[in-house]
Amino acid sequence: MTRRRWNWSIERKLPLLFSVLLLAVVLVMLGAAYGQVRTSALSFASERVKRSTKEWVNASVRSTAQQRSQVATLVADPGVRDFVASGGKRGRDWALAAMRRIAPDNTPNVAMEVWDDGGHRLLLRGDSAFASEPAPLPASDSGVVSPYRVQRDTLILSDMQAVVRRGPEGAVIGRVVVVRRLNVSAQARQTLTGISGGDMSLLIGNADGGVWTDLEKVIPAPPAAARAEHDSALAIPYVRGDAKIGAAARIPGTPIMFISELPRRTVLAPTQVYLRRMSLIAAVIVLVGAFGAWWVSRGITDPLNHLTTAAAAIASGDLARRVDVPGHDELGRLGNSFNTMAGEVQRARSDLEGQVVERTRALSETNAELEAFSYSVSHDLRAPLRAIHGFARILLEDHGAGMDGEAKRVLGVIDENTRRMGQLIDDLLAFSRLGRKEIETARVDMAELVRGVVDEIRRHAGDRPLEITVGALPPARGDRNMLRQAVTNLLDNAAKFTRKRTPGRIEVGSQANGAEAVYYVKDNGAGFDPRYASKLFGVFQRLHRAEEFEGTGVGLAIVQRVVQRHGGRVWAEGKLDGGATFYFTLPGVSNA
Amino acid sequence: MTQPHEVEILLVEDNPSDAELTLRALKQRNLANQVFVCHDGAEALEFFFGDGSHALREIGVVPKVILLDLKLPKVDGLEVLRRLKEEARTKSIPVVVLTSSREEPDIARAYRLGANSYIVKPVDFEAFARAVSDVGLYWLLLNHPPR
Repeated sequence: MTRRRWNWSIERKLPLLFSVLLLAVVLVMLGAAYGQVRTSALSFASERVKRSTKEWVNASVRSTAQQRSQVATLVADPGVRDFVASGGKRGRDWALAAMRRIAPDNTPNVAMEVWDDGGHRLLLRGDSAFASEPAPLPASDSGVVSPYRVQRDTLILSDMQAVVRRGPEGAVIGRVVVVRRLNVSAQARQTLTGISGGDMSLLIGNADGGVWTDLEKVIPAPPAAARAEHDSALAIPYVRGDAKIGAAARIPGTPIMFISELPRRTVLAPTQVYLRRMSLIAAVIVLVGAFGAWWVSRGITDPLNHLTTAAAAIASGDLARRVDVPGHDELGRLGNSFNTMAGEVQRARSDLEGQVVERTRALSETNAELEAFSYSVSHDLRAPLRAIHGFARILLEDHGAGMDGEAKRVLGVIDENTRRMGQLIDDLLAFSRLGRKEIETARVDMAELVRGVVDEIRRHAGDRPLEITVGALPPARGDRNMLRQAVTNLLDNAAKFTRKRTPGRIEVGSQANGAEAVYYVKDNGAGFDPRYASKLFGVFQRLHRAEEFEGTGVGLAIVQRVVQRHGGRVWAEGKLDGGATFYFTLPGVSNA
Repeated sequence: MTQPHEVEILLVEDNPSDAELTLRALKQRNLANQVFVCHDGAEALEFFFGDGSHALREIGVVPKVILLDLKLPKVDGLEVLRRLKEEARTKSIPVVVLTSSREEPDIARAYRLGANSYIVKPVDFEAFARAVSDVGLYWLLLNHPPR
């Protein structure tokens, strides 16, 4: 798997980074604010449903107490007692009168009954449609509220009953039941909903489940979670149809329970609106921020781009190029510094060019002078020498007959010295030419070059015993003619100084020294005193007397100049009468 | 001194010693009889292209070879060579450059201008004499110029 590298420009990276950061900050803030708002909304709604439930319970406690006292009044009434005790045979009117004191005739939704202890109804006043069923006697005199029940589908009833005794603290002889119908209808529900703020629902039912109503109709009992009474600050969420939060409370001493509930959707609707609005604002902030970051980064990258373009232009030779970076901020100062630097470069360049022109002119003047000098040496120094030599010979040829031996010897000395002078001039000119000549670099097959030189040396040596061995020689890079000159001089020397050996041995070879090749020419000749090794390569430096070995002392100087002009080194090892080895290095083919 | 109309070898040489040595070398081979010597470039040009006021002017005389030094007073040898090789009448006369210079540029220019040969004068007299006489023998006896 390859790792991808992002090569985006700062102009893209900076706004992107800033936008991402801004987005993160805005999202965190938005999340926090939304959480807070949501908590507040839920807390507020919880407060509402709790308060509502509590108010309904309080109201019911009062009415229940009132009903209790009414039932207690009936139970304690002597007429009612007598009516029950007589098994309904007498006192019926008194009992009815007592009932009328509690609720006038034709009071809707209320029925009153008197039962004996044998389970027979003795009296029913009011609408028989919701009369109660036979039931066991209650334990209390002061009234017991029974759970809600459904009777004939649509009616929801609650009844309160109490026992009738024979005189105070006497035996139980029957019971009194007051039945109240809960008036449920769409209108009733709307009225109640309106009281509690329009969106809240009120549910009434039995705490242990069973019959429940939303005041419009009978409904399934809310889930147990909804019916749990608790003291926590937030209302318990539950599902009844859809998600709801509600608060439940039981009317003390009864199985009846109230639940005030709100749909979670309604509760959280304002927070959704808040979230949408805030998201819109956040999006605007992020967009504005991103644009701002882009604008700021453009302000940075534009001058940088100018600088880059200008630097590239200067690098490619347009030294007059300058940048226009306005302002006095860091970029403005950078632009100014850049311009100053470019000016310096331009000035230095023109100075340099001037210097180069000046130096080149001086150099070519010097070269021209040298040229003229060596031409002059070459031409004018030879002519008189030729005359001296020529006329000395003429003297010998034309008048030699009349000369004695000494005169002839003197002429011979003149002859010999003019020859040497001629050789000196030739060598000196060759040496001087070498310094001025351009090197024409190419690959040079050193083995083949050495073979050619060796052949020539052998020809000159004639039948003198001379053993020349040539080892492996790596190719070099250099000027073929110059290298041939150097090799020729070295082998010439070797041949010359082995003249007194029988046989003369010359070995040409090479050895690797790291990256460079070291070539050597080794002989078994006269050698040299190592103390004077440093003088070997000097012009006109000779370590042997002319009578022993002829020469002008330029050959090794030429070798040194050739090798040095190729960037190589040259040195020699040897001892007097112990042979000599000359080493030189040249740039190899691979690293040149 | 040889008269212009009999000239077989024209020697252009400013140095009297060299001229004498050259003549001596030619004489040893019996080639010196019809040698005419010009002592500078101007004289050489006068010999071929003069207006006749000068004694050297001799139209119709065509030397068999011109031995030309390069370093000459007044007009140098290369200029003389250029003029000779430009002129149709003198173009086919063989010109042997006989000079002390062994400088590569001189050699190259001489041949570019149409020199027929380039000889470096040796300092050694025997070598010099041999060279000169060889040149004389070759151009006078062996070579067949156009007629």
